[in-house]
Amino acid sequence: APGQQPFVTIPQEEVAQQQQQRQETQPLNNAPVWREVRSGQGITQIRGVETGVLVQSQGETWREMRNGPVTFYGGILMVAVPVLILVFYLVRGPLKQHEPDTGRKILRFSAWDRVIHWSTAISWLILAITGLIILFGKYVLLPVFGYTVFAFLANLSKNLHNFVGPYFIVSALAMVVTYAGRNLPRAYDLQWLAKLGGFFSNKEVPSGFFNAGEKLWFWIGVFLLTIVVSVTGLILDFPNFGQGREAMQLANVIHAIGALLYMAFGLGHIYLGTIGVQGAYHSMRYDGMVDEAWAKAHHEYWYEEVKAQQKGSVQAAGAVGGGEPQRA
Amino acid sequence: MARMKFICDAERCIECNACVTACKNEHEVPWGVNRRRVVTINDGVPGERSISVACMHCSDAPCMAVCPVDCFYKTTEGIVLHDKDLCIGCGYCFYACPFGAPQFPQDGGFGLRGKMDKCTFCAGGPEPDGSEAEFKKYGRNRIAEGKLPACAEMCSTKALLGGDGDVLADIYRQRVLVRGKGAEVWGWATAYGRPEQKQAAPAGKGG
Amino acid sequence: MLLTRKSTTEVQRSGRLSRSVAGFLGNTMDRRTFLKRSGIAVGAGAFASQLPFAMMDKAQAAKAEGDGKIEVRRTVCTHCSVGCAIDAVVKNGVWIRQEPVFDSPINLGAHCAKGASVREHGHGEHRLRYPMKLVGGKWQKISWEQAINEVGDKLLAIRKESGPDAVYWIGSSKHSNEQAYLLRKFVSMWGTNNCDHQARICHSTTVAGVANTWGYGAMTNSYNDEQFSKCILFFGSNAAEAHPVSMLHTLHAKENGAKVIVVDPRFTRTAAKADYYFRTRSGSDVAFLMGVLYHIFKNGWEDKEYIRQRVYGMDKVKEEVLTKWTPDKVEDVTGLPEKDVYTVAKLMAENRPSTIVWAMGQTQHTTGNAIVRASCILQLALGNVGVSGGGCNIYRGHDNVQGATDVGPNPDSLPGYYGIAPGSWKHWARVWGVDYEWLKGRFASEAMMTKPGITVSRWFDAVLEKNENIDQDPNLRAVIYWGHAPNSQSRNKDMLEAMKKLDLIVVIDPYPSATAAMAALVRSDGAYLLPAATQFETSGSCTASNRSIQWRERVIKPLFESQTDHAIMYAFAKKFGFEKEFAKNLKIVKPDPDKFEEPEPESVLREINRGVWTIGYTGQSPERLKAHMRNMHVFDVKTLRAKGGVDKETGYVLDGDYFGLPWPCYGTPELKHPGTPNLYDTSKHVMEGGGNFRANFGVERDGVSLLAEDGSHSKGADITTGYPEFDHVLLKKLGWWDELTEEEKKEAEGKNWKTDLSGGIIRVVMKNHGCHPFGNAKARAVVWNFPDPIPQHREPLYSPRPDLVEKYPTHEDKKAFWRMPTLFKTIQMANKEISKEYPLIMTSGRLVEYEGGGDETRSNPWLAELQQDMFVEVNPRDANNAGVRNGEFVWVESPTKARIKVKALVTERVAPGTVFLPFHFAGWWMGQDLLDKYPQGAAPIVRGEAVNTATTYGYDVVTMMQETKTTLCRISKA
Ligand SMILES: Nc1nc2c(c(=O)[nH]1)N[C@H]1C(S)=C(S)[C@@H](COP(=O)(O)OP(=O)(O)OC[C@H]3O[C@@H](n4cnc5c(=O)[nH]c(N)nc54)[C@H](O)[C@@H]3O)O[C@H]1N2
Ligand SMILES: Nc1nc2c(c(=O)[nH]1)N[C@H]1C(S)=C(S)[C@@H](COP(=O)(O)OP(=O)(O)OC[C@H]3O[C@@H](n4cnc5c(=O)[nH]c(N)nc54)[C@H](O)[C@@H]3O)O[C@H]1N2
Ligand code: HEM
Ligand code: HEM
Ligand code: SF4
Ligand code: SF4
Ligand code: SF4
Ligand code: SF4
Ligand code: SF4
Ligand SMILES: [Mo]
Repeated sequence: APGQQPFVTIPQEEVAQQQQQRQETQPLNNAPVWREVRSGQGITQIRGVETGVLVQSQGETWREMRNGPVTFYGGILMVAVPVLILVFYLVRGPLKQHEPDTGRKILRFSAWDRVIHWSTAISWLILAITGLIILFGKYVLLPVFGYTVFAFLANLSKNLHNFVGPYFIVSALAMVVTYAGRNLPRAYDLQWLAKLGGFFSNKEVPSGFFNAGEKLWFWIGVFLLTIVVSVTGLILDFPNFGQGREAMQLANVIHAIGALLYMAFGLGHIYLGTIGVQGAYHSMRYDGMVDEAWAKAHHEYWYEEVKAQQKGSVQAAGAVGGGEPQRA
Repeated sequence: MARMKFICDAERCIECNACVTACKNEHEVPWGVNRRRVVTINDGVPGERSISVACMHCSDAPCMAVCPVDCFYKTTEGIVLHDKDLCIGCGYCFYACPFGAPQFPQDGGFGLRGKMDKCTFCAGGPEPDGSEAEFKKYGRNRIAEGKLPACAEMCSTKALLGGDGDVLADIYRQRVLVRGKGAEVWGWATAYGRPEQKQAAPAGKGG
Repeated sequence: MLLTRKSTTEVQRSGRLSRSVAGFLGNTMDRRTFLKRSGIAVGAGAFASQLPFAMMDKAQAAKAEGDGKIEVRRTVCTHCSVGCAIDAVVKNGVWIRQEPVFDSPINLGAHCAKGASVREHGHGEHRLRYPMKLVGGKWQKISWEQAINEVGDKLLAIRKESGPDAVYWIGSSKHSNEQAYLLRKFVSMWGTNNCDHQARICHSTTVAGVANTWGYGAMTNSYNDEQFSKCILFFGSNAAEAHPVSMLHTLHAKENGAKVIVVDPRFTRTAAKADYYFRTRSGSDVAFLMGVLYHIFKNGWEDKEYIRQRVYGMDKVKEEVLTKWTPDKVEDVTGLPEKDVYTVAKLMAENRPSTIVWAMGQTQHTTGNAIVRASCILQLALGNVGVSGGGCNIYRGHDNVQGATDVGPNPDSLPGYYGIAPGSWKHWARVWGVDYEWLKGRFASEAMMTKPGITVSRWFDAVLEKNENIDQDPNLRAVIYWGHAPNSQSRNKDMLEAMKKLDLIVVIDPYPSATAAMAALVRSDGAYLLPAATQFETSGSCTASNRSIQWRERVIKPLFESQTDHAIMYAFAKKFGFEKEFAKNLKIVKPDPDKFEEPEPESVLREINRGVWTIGYTGQSPERLKAHMRNMHVFDVKTLRAKGGVDKETGYVLDGDYFGLPWPCYGTPELKHPGTPNLYDTSKHVMEGGGNFRANFGVERDGVSLLAEDGSHSKGADITTGYPEFDHVLLKKLGWWDELTEEEKKEAEGKNWKTDLSGGIIRVVMKNHGCHPFGNAKARAVVWNFPDPIPQHREPLYSPRPDLVEKYPTHEDKKAFWRMPTLFKTIQMANKEISKEYPLIMTSGRLVEYEGGGDETRSNPWLAELQQDMFVEVNPRDANNAGVRNGEFVWVESPTKARIKVKALVTERVAPGTVFLPFHFAGWWMGQDLLDKYPQGAAPIVRGEAVNTATTYGYDVVTMMQETKTTLCRISKA
């Protein structure tokens, strides 16, 4: 009889026929029916998601993926990236600005630029930390804090993660729109990439408003991975649309992998935005202004353009940061 | 040591749903949460078989493995229980469970599912046996009272058996012997893996 | 949050549990206990009853509940006739838990969905809480006093203006025996035979047909007895849904090699458990049974010696079958090819004892009486009746429909099938201790007193029909629904018209029921709802399908303002001024200070014991029944017989009793008749539950003896040939008279075994001479007093086959039949070609989760969650033709032009050309949800269209059973 579930059934004539034939040739063998148990969709009076499915074997695959490679390699990644950054920092130190500050400031990030950046960044950080607690807390925090404290943390994490997630999506999309223009690829980006920005040679390769590394962060990280974690995150976050377990499992694995990559990438960005590049933090943090010397050191082409524009129009300075002038 | 298991004998189950309402009644499980359900395959055509399914209290329980707060625990009798005070309602156990056992009181947005609820083998939870708190969260603790699961006890045709796996296997084997068919035990391989002792498990395929 | 809990370590956590589990495994739960608790012994080949009694005792249950007064009350599920026992755990007057009763030989602790959820009755969230009255179309709360006064005054006014026959009393198969019995008494004292109950629309055809074949119209054997069967034919029963726990026994039989055959228009869940399934056309039943008989006679498989000794008229049947029911004709009518019918015949013949099981598939037809007799003939031909493992296992309906049929409000008989002739009235006047003349004076006339009343299936016609056409002076002006749903009668469209027209409609029910909603749909006043208590809120006995009688203890006090049915009866008796006569022999008690006073159920049962000799309701004293309930563990699961056992409380010796003293349990309780597990079983002594066919139809017909042939008698009988029933004359002739005591002689003088209130005749005949008080006769294959003495196939009134209507037309119209004109041929002829417009056969029946009209069960959230939509099962072919897909709403329209909006369930379960609808839904009216017509907060959780809104005209030619299994319809996308 029909509940909500039963209405998805298909007449199972075929199995029945098989079964009838089987009864004639091998009277005591119900094999066709039992095969149906594994593959088929049954009927049940219980409403809900996939209640008609008796055994779902993908669950086991998902468990193996999540508790296996995702946790294992993800864990390695989460340890390895900070370690590598630390080593790099210790060995190379921060990227320095070779010439002293001029005292002349130019505007790099408008107020909106900064607001949207931090809105995204802070929500991202919350997601990252809470996500990590969900994924690794059991191995890392539980033994330290015990069940009581950890459960509190985990619960907080889960709820924060689930509510901040959608906020992050909105924020990140706004950020993508805001920064996309300045992140369009340029021919000189290739050069920057070929020389790895000069990070290892201590001679910075000139770049536009953003260098190719930042652009990669923008397109692969902020753009692509946001989409990945957002789509999958939404699938996980809104189970009330009746999506099946397979969708959830898939979403979870992709989400976790995407998130891990995102975090690894993000760590690099954060490093460069803080201690990795001397002075970078200031442009994002305080008034959006940078010293001309800084601009010249790290974004030479942009600096030149700003200068050129300033010559053309005195007021132009105020408009800087709105875009990178065209260059052949 | 006894190892608690369920068997549902599909040759007997008539889809009467007694097991379902017995559970609701005994544990006052709210509307929308069903610790047990009966699934019928080949509905309405020859070969129709029904199987009652709830948490099977798996040997190597997938739910337990994936729970991010590790709130499951297993009694020495193999009953898989969980602690609702710890549960964060993430739904992972539901994704992992082969039998769709974990249930959630809500399916709200933002992952607000509420605390997971599932069949406890009528063994309550971590609170003191028979306490009010235990009843509110997990239902009755029949095991502590020396009783077997309500669903199995009330099954209309004794299709559903719950209890010491060895005894169940014995009974089942005898039934199969008497009727000469229906040896397939649904769910055992998935839930309990390969037979622990050869004689203790009914000959089985069918998942 | 109780977060600190988790600081216990893994070891400790499992340690605590393992302690408790190990504890029970070690001490209280040994292997045997385990087998017993899980009730699985029955499947393992061993039997629970062979294991020592080791159930958890009450104290232990109590311990688990902590403080507070804990009591365990033994009761019986109220949802079907299987009669599953339940232990209700009550704490401080609140029903907190229910436990299975493993000791019950009937259910071994097992339940179906309904039984496993009866505790919800203790919540009663959707119950009717207080008396209500319809005022200006709205339900208004009133006091009990006002209710009794207003309703009473209105009824008295109607009685004065139009006579007692203007009021119709619909009683209930859900009443206990005591209440059902009292209601018949109550209605008699009101002065009418216009009363009825569910049995009319349930098994009336069975009762009439079967009783006229061999004596008693009841299930001959028991569910348990099926374990002795070698072949079980389900024809017109879907036991897996309607009698789920009976399947415990059926499946056990099957596992031990019994062949299970299901013949049904639907591939039911019972069919899913069968070895063989054959699909027939709904409404072709006589033809199928005759087809089976054809092969039996053709191959000489009949039991010739049995027939010679014990059956009358089989030769005539044989002749007719062999000429009229050749396989081609059977196939034409039923759709079953010769080989299938042959298979059934062969299986039944070669695997004896074989039994046939039936219920509504056979009874609910215009030819129901003939179908059930054909089934009896089949069993007689095979020599299966009166044999353990054989018999006609007629699965009854409601939990106490058997009892209500036996002693309750029937329009054509007094308790115990005494009939309504003056002699019967006199017998009962004597038992009740009232003057016959007074009783007669209560009626419109002696003619009306001895004329069968209107049936529940037709009450609305008695409102609507032209006055000159009905066989009583007034039309009906008031109807009292006392434990009966309206959506269970067919033709609800006409019923609604009648509801409009009535002066007064009263509902006495724990649930406001669909009656309230329907009344409020068409009326703005003149309707009352009185909250009745359920059977868990009072005590009393009920008779299961196998005739076993069980005693229910009161579980809780009547909820809210509800009153027990017998308290309400007594209150009205007072209002009508006959409470003295009503309660002459009864003890009046007041169980709760804030409720009405009422007749004590025990004293009512004692009155039943004193009066119902015919069918042996005399031996089942309250004391014996209670002893059985307390000592269920001593009864064998297969035979139902006690092996030893002494009741601790009373010292009563149970040894030899059959569980529940299945009627007939002859004589006084002191005679200690053990009850009768299988009717007409000559292999046992009458004092051991043996018997033979009843001598109820004379001793001779057309020169042929109707008494059993020489050598055919119950074991150990002093008379070894057939004999008539016993009375004072026969006793004297045989020289047995002096074996009566002086007191008995005084009482028995001029009486027969049925009217001798001393029980002396029965005692002497049975105990001293091993004879049967009702005589020893043949069963009748030909029932000459019925319209079709030999069962005839007649097409349903709404038939999909005009060609067959020509060949097998229905009966002639009847004029005054149960006081009503009743149409057969007129309807059939007018609708002969209707299948062109309405091509689908529409049949209806049950879902396991719901019961009857469904108001109770659809108000139980644990059940309601499982069936949330009314639906129609449609074959994929018909669905595709109608452009309908699974889960979509469709209109089902019948030739009455009634349309109901239901969901389509597309399934192979039904054949192309047939649709099936469950009948448990109500609360929608042709697409409209009537939620606002219910008293606030008292509407059932799940509502839907009632199939009976759409059902059509058609009544059995003997009993006025409604035709609800075969009619026509069409479906279209909604
Ligand atoms: N769950 C549940 N159990 C119940 C009840 C309930 O309401 N719900 N009610 C109780 C009552 S009152 C009763 S009377 C019994 C009834 O119990 P059943 O009679 O077993 O139940 P139904 O479903 O009415 O009908 C039985 C079968 O008759 C078949 N049938 C339909 N048309 C025909 C026909 O023309 N010929 C034949 N041979 N078969 C046909 C149907 O397909 C169905 O499988 O159940 C009792 N038990
Ligand atoms: N189309 C179709 N119609 C059918 C059938 C079918 O198969 N198809 N089956 C027919 C059959 S077999 C039957 S028996 C009928 C059943 O139909 P009904 O008997 O009319 O249906 P129930 O809902 O069981 O009605 C019982 C009523 O009694 C009330 N009640 C319960 N306990 C008590 C009590 O202790 N006291 C009082 N006063 N009331 C109580 C319940 O609340 C309920 O309202 O339906 C018949 N109608
Ligand atoms: C604590 C964390 C973070 C710090 C300290 C930080 C710091 C900075 C700084 C200093 C800049 C300016 C770089 C420049 O001037 O070229 C910057 C740019 C940017 N940041 Fe962050 N950031 C953080 C987190 C994030 C996160 C989580 C995101 C995105 C999800 C993000 C996205 C961006 C983008 C899109 C830009 C512009 C560069 C580009 O488009 O490539 N930042 N950040
Ligand atoms: C910056 C982005 C994000 C990161 C780094 C991140 C990280 C993670 C991680 C590591 C997990 C744990 C995976 C596991 O245990 O298998 C997780 C789970 C989850 N994430 Fe994210 N996530 C991000 C964004 C989002 C967004 C945007 C959403 C939703 C809109 C979201 C919703 C979820 C949900 C629902 C879960 C499942 C866990 C739960 O319900 O508590 N995440 N995330
Ligand atoms: S059945 Fe599901 S919930 Fe139960 S133990 Fe196995 S995996 Fe866990
Ligand atoms: S829902 Fe609760 S029990 Fe299930 S995995 Fe999540 S935290 Fe664990
Ligand atoms: S064992 Fe207990 S909790 Fe589990 S399904 Fe059965 S009744 Fe419900
Ligand atoms: S109670 Fe038993 S027969 Fe009924 S559905 Fe459950 S397992 Fe099957
Ligand atoms: S409805 Fe019938 S079979 Fe089900 S529990 Fe009640 S009495 Fe038993
Ligand atoms: Mo019935």
